[in-house]
Amino acid sequence: MSTEMTALETAKPAIVSRPYLLRRLARDPLALVALIFLVVIVVAAVLAPMLAPFDPYDTNLRMRLRPPSGQHLLGTDTQGRDMLTRLLYGARTTLALGFASIVVGSLIGTSIGLASAFYRRLEGPLMRLVDILLSFPSILFGLALAAMLGVGMDSLVIALGLSAAPPIARVARATAASVMQAEYMDAGRVIGLSDGALIRRYLLRNCAAPIVVYCSLQFGETILLAAALGFLGLGLQPPTAELGSIAAEGRSFIFLAPHVSTAASLLIFMIVLSCNLLGDAFRDLTDPKLQR
Amino acid sequence: MTRQLLWRLLTSIPVLLGVLLVGFLMLQVIPTDPAIIIAGPSGTAAEIEDIRRQLGLDAPILMQFWFYLLRVLQGDLGRSIINNAPVGGELLTALGPTIELMVASLIWAVPLGILLGTLAAMRRGQTFDRVVTALSVAGVSVPAFWVGLLLLQFAAFRWQLFPLQGRGGPLWTFSGMHHVALPALTLGLIFIGPVARMTRTAVVEVLGADFIRTARAKGASEFRVVTRHALRTALIPVVTLIGLQIGSLLGGAVIAETIFAWPGIGRLAVGSIVSSDFPMAQGCILVLACGFIVVNFVVDALYGLLDPRIRSKIR
Repeated sequence: MSTEMTALETAKPAIVSRPYLLRRLARDPLALVALIFLVVIVVAAVLAPMLAPFDPYDTNLRMRLRPPSGQHLLGTDTQGRDMLTRLLYGARTTLALGFASIVVGSLIGTSIGLASAFYRRLEGPLMRLVDILLSFPSILFGLALAAMLGVGMDSLVIALGLSAAPPIARVARATAASVMQAEYMDAGRVIGLSDGALIRRYLLRNCAAPIVVYCSLQFGETILLAAALGFLGLGLQPPTAELGSIAAEGRSFIFLAPHVSTAASLLIFMIVLSCNLLGDAFRDLTDPKLQR
Repeated sequence: MTRQLLWRLLTSIPVLLGVLLVGFLMLQVIPTDPAIIIAGPSGTAAEIEDIRRQLGLDAPILMQFWFYLLRVLQGDLGRSIINNAPVGGELLTALGPTIELMVASLIWAVPLGILLGTLAAMRRGQTFDRVVTALSVAGVSVPAFWVGLLLLQFAAFRWQLFPLQGRGGPLWTFSGMHHVALPALTLGLIFIGPVARMTRTAVVEVLGADFIRTARAKGASEFRVVTRHALRTALIPVVTLIGLQIGSLLGGAVIAETIFAWPGIGRLAVGSIVSSDFPMAQGCILVLACGFIVVNFVVDALYGLLDPRIRSKIR
């Protein structure tokens, strides 16, 4: 959301030592719960093949849409597949998708941000481009890319990356601009380093921490968008388990067996909520202006 | 002021061109050659070549883009691959319901969001503030489709309070309002969170200003201080931010339309993309993007009108 973003942009990226941050975070019970939940989900998603009680693609039409039972703890879906297994694999796909998209977005965003801070002449046009990209609804990227490249993983990751990139570019530019003031930048230039070496060895390394933190804050929003596109059928195609498309599959049976959509939606909600709570806590800690 | 608006209008042109380029590229990916389809199964190579020339398909790609621009400016967006209906006409009939849905959502969500945000700012740190903050975080985190599905499952199916789907006529009729209620509720609910949050931040900031202390010192009631002094200042950035949030509203609209089978442009866009109807998809994207550019422009203009400081600075 843009409100959160402006708050972060106006704040000077504070570089606080990590153990200190973690200790402060531990004092915020809500953030701590969110952090623990996220860790559990990520571990469960990574270990899905070992944890899942069934095969995620093993259909059994005689066992369709069963409510939760001893054998199937969360019931079965529209094709008789075990819901718990589907959710584990779904979380795996969705989280991986979100991660890949953030990586793409941060590559684009950081390049734009660093370039516009380093080459002042590029700043105007590049930031204008960022403003324009920022003003477009992210769902439109998803729709347009799905229409151009076809529905699938590639267009999804590019669309999600593109919508994550503009705010990252802003933060990267703000951070890089303050690093550019540092004397070691001049020193590097004096000893005859090339632009490329200056950017890589001096600028990027000193900007990395705040940029990485900000990228992780974008994670929740990216997941939410990925799920929305998956729900609309513009994401990964069945039978791939992805949380958004599981919710969409359950949609046709919402009156008969609401547990399919509800379970997937609830899981997305919990993941995104945890990301946002954690993000807010982080912001409060690193932004002295917002401290109450 | 006028100069600034003119400048904004001018800078919108490259953006529009970019959007049109995307639309053009969307049509380029059609795997089949339209000339072969038009010539039919009995068409000879010479006939196909002829049709290609007539359609301008043999021209360099830049010329083709130019032709495309001319066609779009004349309102010709091509025909749907699925039912051969002119894309422009279909878009026009779908645009109305989408605007209707957005208006129906904003009309209750924005005032309520501003009210909640203001009350939260006045009771900063108290339970009410915490509840509003928690609700707005939840509102930002909840998948829009879940809100829609829950409303569909309970309000429409189990309690039979509202129709399951579709549009019931113009907004001012009972049937129209009855049908728009659930999609508008879905859309509004996910919009309240950001509005309340932005309002709270803005009002908290303004309440610390000197002129608020002055107003209090003059003995103005708290109600008057907030409504006459604080809100009038705080609402300026809020209006802009709401305008900028129209984009996320559009995203929600696509989902609400899909769930409640609302005959709007979002549903048309998703349907045409899923069924590979490239001309229709291109038209939808063009209209959505252009609509968005127009909204942004209006928001910018409003910002100048609302804030006399900006007006005088530009002049």
